[in-house]
Amino acid sequence: MTDPKKPAMALVDMADEDLMQLVRKGDNTAFAIIYERHSTASFSLAYRMTQNRNAAEDVVQEAFLSLWRSNARYDRARGSVRTWVLGIVHNRAIDALRRSIGHDKRRASDEGLEERFEARERTEVEVGRRAEAKEVRTALETLPTEQCRVIELAYFGGFTHSEIAKMLDTPIGTVKGRMRLGLEKMRHQLAGLQELPS
Amino acid sequence: MSSNRQPDSCDHLLDAGAYLLGALSQDEQREFAGHLRACGGCQHEVQQLQIVVDTLPIAAPQLVPPPDLRDRIMRVVDAEAELLRATGPEADRVRAADERTRSTDRAKRSRRWGALLFPRPIAAGAMASILIAVGVAGGALVVSEDSPTAPPTTTFTAKVLSEGSKAVVSVQDGRAALRVTNLPSAPSGKVYQVWIQRAGEQPQPTHTLFNVRKSDGSAVVPIEERVGPGERILVTDEPDGGSLTPTGQTVIDAQLT
Repeated sequence: MTDPKKPAMALVDMADEDLMQLVRKGDNTAFAIIYERHSTASFSLAYRMTQNRNAAEDVVQEAFLSLWRSNARYDRARGSVRTWVLGIVHNRAIDALRRSIGHDKRRASDEGLEERFEARERTEVEVGRRAEAKEVRTALETLPTEQCRVIELAYFGGFTHSEIAKMLDTPIGTVKGRMRLGLEKMRHQLAGLQELPS
Repeated sequence: MSSNRQPDSCDHLLDAGAYLLGALSQDEQREFAGHLRACGGCQHEVQQLQIVVDTLPIAAPQLVPPPDLRDRIMRVVDAEAELLRATGPEADRVRAADERTRSTDRAKRSRRWGALLFPRPIAAGAMASILIAVGVAGGALVVSEDSPTAPPTTTFTAKVLSEGSKAVVSVQDGRAALRVTNLPSAPSGKVYQVWIQRAGEQPQPTHTLFNVRKSDGSAVVPIEERVGPGERILVTDEPDGGSLTPTGQTVIDAQLT
């Protein structure tokens, strides 16, 4: 555990994977750094999914406390800490959506979203992340509309394929096919994308 | 798990995308996971598509989490870390007391944002009528809270570049929120950025960038940085991602006096 009286400079320079080892031992300073690094992406995902500030805050709070309390165990063999954290946030947001009464067609629309962006690019990693995000957004938005729509409804909306089929008045097999085809096309477009360091 | 690839004709391949997107029902999800253990073709497909699904979170517009969210989380974490230090690694970090803290925090948060962004109906009605009168002179007015202990909210009307648009800045205890109506959307490839300018200084960039609803040109934008009397809040249109110094047109100008 980190002595709170000692400067935390060394921790700031550590990779996420090493910080997570400290977090598992109850190091709150290491946890704070993990939060700083991934809270913007986490909150953005939660807000995109719930479209509600309070719900998004609750999702992020639940996800990070779960991470802190070791209810969710990080396994570095299964990918980066960032991917893992965002996976927890995604699952929590899906749970929240499926619990909520407002899980209906209205959420499928972007109308009414207030977009507020992080302005400062303090590090090269942040600049890189912004470029990466733009590339992913472009890949998603340039898909044929019907493929983009089913992926967004499933991933960000938390709808099942049968709900989407009903909503779009489309056979379930077609919905599944569009999901797979859309992801395949994105994979080709994003072939050069590499995950950025912490 | 089998390492043998099976032909791409597996009937379950169609489910791979829906599986990764979490769009199968719980039963189907379990069934497909079971099938994956034995089907090399589906394993390969899932591995390939997983890379894409892992990038989807960053396709969401990037939003700054409110600073008090960090405070709430760290309050719980710091308390549990302290407990852990005192009692050793076997300590139970999940405590009912934290749940109480959390619900209290949520109530406090709702009250604070509620007071700042959504004035009570009576106050809002009064404010609207007074603003019409004050707006011409570009002055300020003070709206008192019902509670004698709550800090007062001061509201400032701003000068707005586009005709027919309105912008109002509410400040409570150094925390400001900007409310705009009928503002045109930021030009393509640009966003609106908020700046704070202190007397005699250049405008300082804030983390706050926003765009308006397409339907009515409105937005309610909490400003993360604290503001003080005599300062100016400016809004310019800037390239997506914001700028460190203003490069675009000033569309809103609010003097906090």
